[in-house]
Amino acid sequence: MRNTKDFFRCAGLALALFAYLTLFFGAEDEWSIAAYVLLGVGGVIALVSFGALPAIERLIQANERACQALMIAGTLGIIAVFREDHYTLFLLGTIFVYSAAVLGINVQLGYAGVINFSGASFFGIGGYTAAVFLQNTPAPPLLTLLLGGIFSAVIGSILLFPVLRTSGHYSALVTMAFALLLKVFLEVSEWLGGPQGLALPSLKFLGIDFAEDLVIMGNEYSFYVKYDLACLLLLIMTFTFAQRIERSWMGLAMDAVRIDETAAACFGISVTRWKITAFTMGNFVIGVAGALYSMMLSYINPSNFTFSDSLLFLSILLLGGIGSLWGVIAATAFMVVIPEKFQIIQEYRYLIYSAMVLMMIVFRPSGLLPRKPRRYIAGGPL
Amino acid sequence: MRFGGLTALDRLDLDIDEGDILGLVGPNGSGKTTFFNVVTGIYRPTGGQVVFDGWDITGFSPQAIFEAGISRTFQRSRLCLELSIFDNIMLGNFKTRDLGICGNIFRRRAFHKTCAEEIEKAVELIRLLNPALVGSIHRPVADLSMIDRRRIEICRALIGKPKLLFLDEPSAGMTHDETNQLMDEILSMKSDERRLTIVLIEHEMGIIGKVTTRCAVLNFGEKLCDGTYRSIVGNPLVQEAYLGREVTEDEV
Repeated sequence: MRNTKDFFRCAGLALALFAYLTLFFGAEDEWSIAAYVLLGVGGVIALVSFGALPAIERLIQANERACQALMIAGTLGIIAVFREDHYTLFLLGTIFVYSAAVLGINVQLGYAGVINFSGASFFGIGGYTAAVFLQNTPAPPLLTLLLGGIFSAVIGSILLFPVLRTSGHYSALVTMAFALLLKVFLEVSEWLGGPQGLALPSLKFLGIDFAEDLVIMGNEYSFYVKYDLACLLLLIMTFTFAQRIERSWMGLAMDAVRIDETAAACFGISVTRWKITAFTMGNFVIGVAGALYSMMLSYINPSNFTFSDSLLFLSILLLGGIGSLWGVIAATAFMVVIPEKFQIIQEYRYLIYSAMVLMMIVFRPSGLLPRKPRRYIAGGPL
Repeated sequence: MRFGGLTALDRLDLDIDEGDILGLVGPNGSGKTTFFNVVTGIYRPTGGQVVFDGWDITGFSPQAIFEAGISRTFQRSRLCLELSIFDNIMLGNFKTRDLGICGNIFRRRAFHKTCAEEIEKAVELIRLLNPALVGSIHRPVADLSMIDRRRIEICRALIGKPKLLFLDEPSAGMTHDETNQLMDEILSMKSDERRLTIVLIEHEMGIIGKVTTRCAVLNFGEKLCDGTYRSIVGNPLVQEAYLGREVTEDEV
């Protein structure tokens, strides 16, 4: 934190952002939602045309820690505002979990350039692992979260051999084949419930049952508040993890592998090692996110983890900006909330997603919030 | 070294002594870059042997060869354009700073310290070549001019303290004056580091004459001759390879 003036500027920005988000989440009828969307778009256009964006960017970069703290505080504020609204809280939890999963894909594709068209499959593997362990063993739910990640990473390593042997479109095809294969397997496997899927007991931790309503001083609040806090914690951990990977020699090695494999190999960087590392780490994160999401849903079936969900993950990454961590969160919020808020467009949502991704590729290929040059130390020189 | 039916390098027998600057010349397609690629492990030779520092390194992976102490630049600049100057230089020094997952992600304070040390080292090296770049080492390489990109590439090849350095046509894409300037910088750096051996591919004979201690001439993947610059320039075989042969009256 450079000085208090900067802090108040950051706080002002955060306040404006979260006030807007609160109004947006609270809006019920379609006309007011449309008005808020227009207001948001207009606000961004105004900021861009007044040239305020670079100044804001500098401010945020110079006061990174404070801004991150403000973002967390603002998110907690939103959760507190909607403490009785199951539906909005569930949406928030979905945003947090999806963001965490896409951050995993970001480590794979954004850093090391390993394309993964089976993100939703690994998300599902995490969920099914948690379900199986919770149903059949006395394993504590927190441990099953970890197991979800581990199983997802281990099953992902089956894919490693064909993915490393091939490159570009071919390795993309390998992961697509895996996604389809896994869905069919889940549908026919009786042990895993077939098309009906499995029910999950709720998350329990330190004697707190996450499926019971939250009671504070005699007032009852939605049980989703607890899940939201758990999901937010997962997102913060994943974010820190991904950011630290980027700001380390690991991130540098992964970038080198993505940009030019031959040159990387000539400077002693093992292409295979870093691709394996990125793929496994990404799958682990996706698996943990999937396990937590299934517990929140308390019920999973194969249609939660289809190929179109994998495409959704990749679209979010493209929309937010490949490699950009804040971009991922912003784009996830957008992609999750817009179709939920506009019930009319529900049916056309994949049409709208693909149109948006196409427009993005044509007009702003680096994404909504493009990745910045690497800084190894927060608030360091640029 | 063969590619299908094409023999790119054939019976090339080349000795390089420690501390030498060897110029590698030859017409286009004579196998100069292929030679680099074979020695640095990008291509696996179909026959023959590469011996470095008493070790047989034939068919080793590029990583292993880099670790043995051979570094290079590329004919067409292969910097990572979107990464910063510091990042690009750091790539050449990556192995010495391999901290593992724990050192990279969890022990951040220690990481910040090593990071500061590495920045110090990179700055020292850049200062030798172009002090003007020191202030902008966190800018992307894409913003730089061609000569500065070459300088960064040379820094990247040198920061890992190699024993043998391959320079693949460092003058490509630069003006005559820039090339001369770059060569002077390389020579002054070489005078600090006497044991460094350099192999240089170059088309401009003036530079070859000025810089190298020995030269080898390739043609169609074979060595025509080697020796000092003077001896090869006077060699009729070399003149024939470059300019063609004078036609005698009998043949007409």
